[in-house]
Amino acid sequence: MLFRSALVAALAACLTSAPAFSASLWTGGDNQPTNPLACDNTPMQPVAKPYDGKLPTNPPDRKGKTLKVVDVPKLVGIAYFAATAKGIAEGAKDIGNMNSKTDGPAKANIDDQISLIDNYITSGVDGIYFAANDTVAIAPVLKKALSKGIIVVGYDANSTPDARTWFVNMAEWNGVAKTLVDQMVAQVGESGGVALVTSTFTTPGQGRWIAEMGAYAAKCHPKLKYLETVEAQEDNILSFNQANTLINKYGPELKGIFGMTSVATPAAAEAVTQAKQCGKIAVVGLATPNPMKPYVASGCVKSVVLWNPVNLGYAAAYVMRSVADGTLKPGDKSVKAGKLGELKVINGSEILLGSPTIFTKDNIKDFDF
Amino acid sequence: MKALMSRLGGHLHEVVLAALVLLALIVLSRQSANFLTIDNLLNQGRLIAEIGLVALAMTFVIITGGIDLSVGSILGLVAVLLGAFWQNLELPLPLAIVLAMIVGTLAGAINGLIITRFKVPPLIATLATLALYRGLAEGISQARSVRGFPDWFYVLGQGDLFGVPVQLWVLLLIVLLTAAVLSLTTWGRATYAMGANETGARFSGLAVDRGKLAIYAFSGFCASLAAVIFVSRVSTTRSDMGSGIELDAITAVVLGGTSIFGGRGTIIGTALGLALMQSLKSGLSLGGVKGDGTIVAIGVVLILTVLIGSIFRRDGHG
Repeated sequence: MLFRSALVAALAACLTSAPAFSASLWTGGDNQPTNPLACDNTPMQPVAKPYDGKLPTNPPDRKGKTLKVVDVPKLVGIAYFAATAKGIAEGAKDIGNMNSKTDGPAKANIDDQISLIDNYITSGVDGIYFAANDTVAIAPVLKKALSKGIIVVGYDANSTPDARTWFVNMAEWNGVAKTLVDQMVAQVGESGGVALVTSTFTTPGQGRWIAEMGAYAAKCHPKLKYLETVEAQEDNILSFNQANTLINKYGPELKGIFGMTSVATPAAAEAVTQAKQCGKIAVVGLATPNPMKPYVASGCVKSVVLWNPVNLGYAAAYVMRSVADGTLKPGDKSVKAGKLGELKVINGSEILLGSPTIFTKDNIKDFDF
Repeated sequence: MKALMSRLGGHLHEVVLAALVLLALIVLSRQSANFLTIDNLLNQGRLIAEIGLVALAMTFVIITGGIDLSVGSILGLVAVLLGAFWQNLELPLPLAIVLAMIVGTLAGAINGLIITRFKVPPLIATLATLALYRGLAEGISQARSVRGFPDWFYVLGQGDLFGVPVQLWVLLLIVLLTAAVLSLTTWGRATYAMGANETGARFSGLAVDRGKLAIYAFSGFCASLAAVIFVSRVSTTRSDMGSGIELDAITAVVLGGTSIFGGRGTIIGTALGLALMQSLKSGLSLGGVKGDGTIVAIGVVLILTVLIGSIFRRDGHG
């Protein structure tokens, strides 16, 4: 009896102390400071920051030698990571002296991803690409890779900076956040009710965007009515169900859904279509163009936001090669990335791919991934 | 003679399994030179420790004819509570660990209470608490991870003792302890009796309900221990930690020859099942097979082992 009341007291204490967290404005955002862009299109001056990544310990001389590298995305079997894998393979082909393969967990699960990377460290690779399922949880195994002289390059979802050599950033967080929120406001008006479908509340990329979106909306569209964020784990059926629940729960109050993953956005569009709410509920989100084509063609979705994931993988391959050859060193301002040209170094140890692309009815057919 | 035959028959599955593990080690070591090295084997031990702990307790649960699907959720709940006690309630970390583990053990005991007091089938009871405990974990964490633990805490999940991962020592200790309890004590014999013939066990004057309660509480305790090790290994807490671990643990237990209907099973079998599962995962991955192929291989081996086991049993008992 004593134990049971102690349990109840402990649980109650946890629940009541929960609001003490320094929460971001919108649920699902991370705790990092935000940096919203100006409401008009004034570009922000970049702040110079010293290199904060980590080089591999005592790497062998790899200059000009054939590299054996492995790509471990968050998960395999979805269009987005198939596209990044394609880019990594294309990059390796253009470079020539590089053997790369992609192998990832079947579910976006931290433990499976860690075990896979651990096995590849044992098998003795020259380099590892990763897209993290958790910024911190992946760090110990990546640090182990660095300590064995392996080059570690992140893309799409970052780890802590001291656990990898470079991170290829697809577009700046605040830039994506501004684009998404501006697109939404253009469709639902300044005071519409909006909800988000994300992967999980602790997924690095999504957490960053949501924090930036909350901050940008508060600064530039303060009347926009935030309703709720729901988790759907980059799972197709779960995303559809969650979007459906939002539609039923909020009724006419819900004017727009943000799809925060390439799985959630088409699933939300499908849910809106099936609920016959096209035109009443807007869907704006991150997604690869191919799965969105039917919804854009039917007019149910006006705009889709994304960078080119094939180019993201392609850039990662060139970053890997440049580190191995010693042509990309801490303190450098840019790196050559084959057909993509020169890419800028930002935030100390990140390589910027470019600005996000907005796919609409007019241009979506030009993209095939 | 007959007694000897039946004794050997009882352990035939373990003998076959040991041979399979040996075969797997030989075949896989030919696929990759990096597989059968001390370094890799110890490293695999580090990766299997959490599943191993859960599987050991699961062996007891399944021998009684029950099942515990809530272990992954208890793992997640304890991980989140550990962080919440330490960061939000600002308790000293050792106290936070102990308190979180007490809650995890109680969560297991609650499973036991629901099953014994209200006669709910274990599958349904723990399916319900699987959702309940995970929901609590998500609610309490508010989707925030707790990070930045002091360095000494990482020793448990990332450190070595005499060249062997610390959690492997913990696993070894619990293996010896559970093996001794199951095969040498009256508690162990009572566990088999509950699973083989529960009514008979009751009429023989065994405290069946109290025994089951203790076993489900132990299952909660092992999941809690696994949670602390997991948090230490990955240096952060997450509310989705341990999701799906119950299936890995049940796979290892069933692979190890424990009957899902209760009454039969050994700790050594479970240990061999774990070894076979992890060798396949690591060996195939090092040999160049991708993740999806590995899952297929484990499924096939599971079916084959169960089939072989049932064929031998039929022969053994005429």
